[in-house]
Parts: sequence; C-alpha cells; structure tokens
Amino acid sequence: MSAFLVIAAVGLGTYLLRASMFALVATKPLPRRAEAALGLVGPAAVAALVATLVLARSGSVDPGPAPELAAIAVGFVAVRRTGNVLHAFALGLPVFWVLSALAG
Amino acid sequence: MTALTRPRSVVEAGARTPFVEGARDIGPMALSVAPFGLAIGAAVGASSVPDLAGWAGGPLILAGSAQLTAVEMIDAGAAPAVTVLSALVLNVRILMYGAAMAPWFRHQRLSRRLLLAMPLIDQLFLVAAPRFERGDLDERGRQAYYVGAAALLVGTWVLAQTVGVVAGVGLPATWGLHLAAPLALAGLLAKSITGRPAAVAAAVAGLLAVVGAGLPHQSAVLVAALVGVAAGGVCARHAPERARS
Repeated sequence: MSAFLVIAAVGLGTYLLRASMFALVATKPLPRRAEAALGLVGPAAVAALVATLVLARSGSVDPGPAPELAAIAVGFVAVRRTGNVLHAFALGLPVFWVLSALAG
Repeated sequence: MTALTRPRSVVEAGARTPFVEGARDIGPMALSVAPFGLAIGAAVGASSVPDLAGWAGGPLILAGSAQLTAVEMIDAGAAPAVTVLSALVLNVRILMYGAAMAPWFRHQRLSRRLLLAMPLIDQLFLVAAPRFERGDLDERGRQAYYVGAAALLVGTWVLAQTVGVVAGVGLPATWGLHLAAPLALAGLLAKSITGRPAAVAAAVAGLLAVVGAGLPHQSAVLVAALVGVAAGGVCARHAPERARS
C-alpha cells in the first residue's frame, strides 16, 4: 500500500469518527447524565493528549523532558491566572529556552 | 419594515458577526498550530514519505499527532494496517468531541452536519463549546461562529505545513516549536477546567496517559480520557455542591 493510501485511510477513518456523532447524536436528546459527562470530555481528552505529547511521545515514559515539563506547567499556571491563552507561549517558551540552555 | 420595528442586526449594532468572532477567538490557537504545522511539514520533508503524500495528511487528517504518527510509522516501515489503526486510536477522542458538539447543530440538515463535522479537532472544540454554552447564539449564529473559527484554524494549519514541506527547513529543536501544540492545549486545558469534576477528569486522564504509555496501539490517550471522564462524573455525583465552586 502506498504512503498516500495509508494517509488517505487515516484521513477517511478520522472523518468517520468525526461524522458519526454528527449523524447519530445531533437529533436525539441526550440523557442528563450523558450531557454532564460530555462536558468533561474536553478536559480529560486534552489532559491525556498533552501528557502523552510531553511525557510519552515514543510510547514509553520519557524520563528527562524537564524543560518541556516546566514550560507546560508554567504555561498552564499562567493561563489559569490570566485567562489569556497566549500567555502559555509568552511564558512557557522562554522557560523552555532558558532551561534547555542551562542543561547544555 | 421601518427602522423602528426592524431588529438591529449584530452588524448594525456595531458588534462582531459570529463568523468574525469565531475567527478572532481561535486566533491564538491558529497562531499556536502554525509552528506545529511547520514542524510536521519539515518532518515530512526529512522523511522517506513522498512530500505530496505526507502533506496531504494536513488537510485529510486534520489532526497533527495522528498525522505525525502515521508519517513516522510509514517512514519506519510499519505495516499499513498497524499504522492506520495506531493513528486512528489516537483520534478516537474526536468521537467524544463529536458527541458533545453535534447537539448544538441538531436542526441542520444531515448533509450540512456532515460538512460541519469535517474540521472538528481539539482547538476548535475547546474554543466553540464554551462559547456555545453561554447561550446567546442561535443555531445560525453557532454555525457561523464555528465556520469562522474552523476556516482560520484549518487555513493556518495547511499553510504552515505547506511552508514546512516546501522550505524543507531543518528547524532547530532549541526553538521549542515541538512544544507549540502542547503549550496551546495546556492553555486551553487551563481555561476548560471550571470546576472540581473537570479538574478530577483532567488529573486522572493526564496521569493515566503517562502510566498507560505502553498500552498497545497508542490506546493510552483514549483509555485515559474515558477513565478521566468517569472519574469526573463520580466526583460530580458525590460532591455536586462543591463541583460548582
């Protein structure tokens, strides 16, 4: 199978994941408990994704991503305090640069 | 219809249209995906995957982590079926976004809903869902807001990947561009935690994603997210009064 077909298959599968709920769920009222659970989807899925991207990108836990971890932590706290998502970059990236430079 | 009886549109009132508001609200996220897209484009250029095939993953998959996984696995010679499955498992979380987003468009025709599903991804969901929950947009306004946000996000994403592939730049790791996506998502996560159940869901999911990093086919994200949602739900049922604090 060519690389393009593999990429296209991932694209098609991803679209089906997206579209299935738009086709099935949209017109039916959800139980109250399900609605409450869906409100937790964003925080849970994004936390899992961020943790994976920073700490376990290779499929196993990376023991030494200290600058990345510190940058994410600082960015998270900055946005919690200010509510401005751009502050995640404004403070997180400099932390990464400084710690990376110190680590040599 | 006279000026007295005609309702003032948002334009006449000097307010932003929902389309423009959506684009404006997702602006920081669009900025954040640009370096990530650039880095993925450069990774495609540096891999054995044909540039066009790797680049096509930008608009076709519209999910950076899955695209990068697919490119890396193709480059490493992994079996096609395993590659597709691994990337899709990483994207199963989008199913949950779809379930949460679809009811906001319940009165649209099926064909239009299927179009609206196309750009759904973390950043779009995390910007649009809280905006819709404010309750001051009707379905037409929600659609305009969503499309405005999606247009800027997807446009930036594809443009950045195009530049990355074409320029073939060897982006220095010291710039930290690989951190752009996690930083943006961490910022959105910080804003999305509005109560104790959400905090519990995020903490449990983040921890489990790391603990379960070795799960087969990169299923840790999905498993962690599901358990996180369940944990947050338990928290909400047992401490509803504190959940709203």
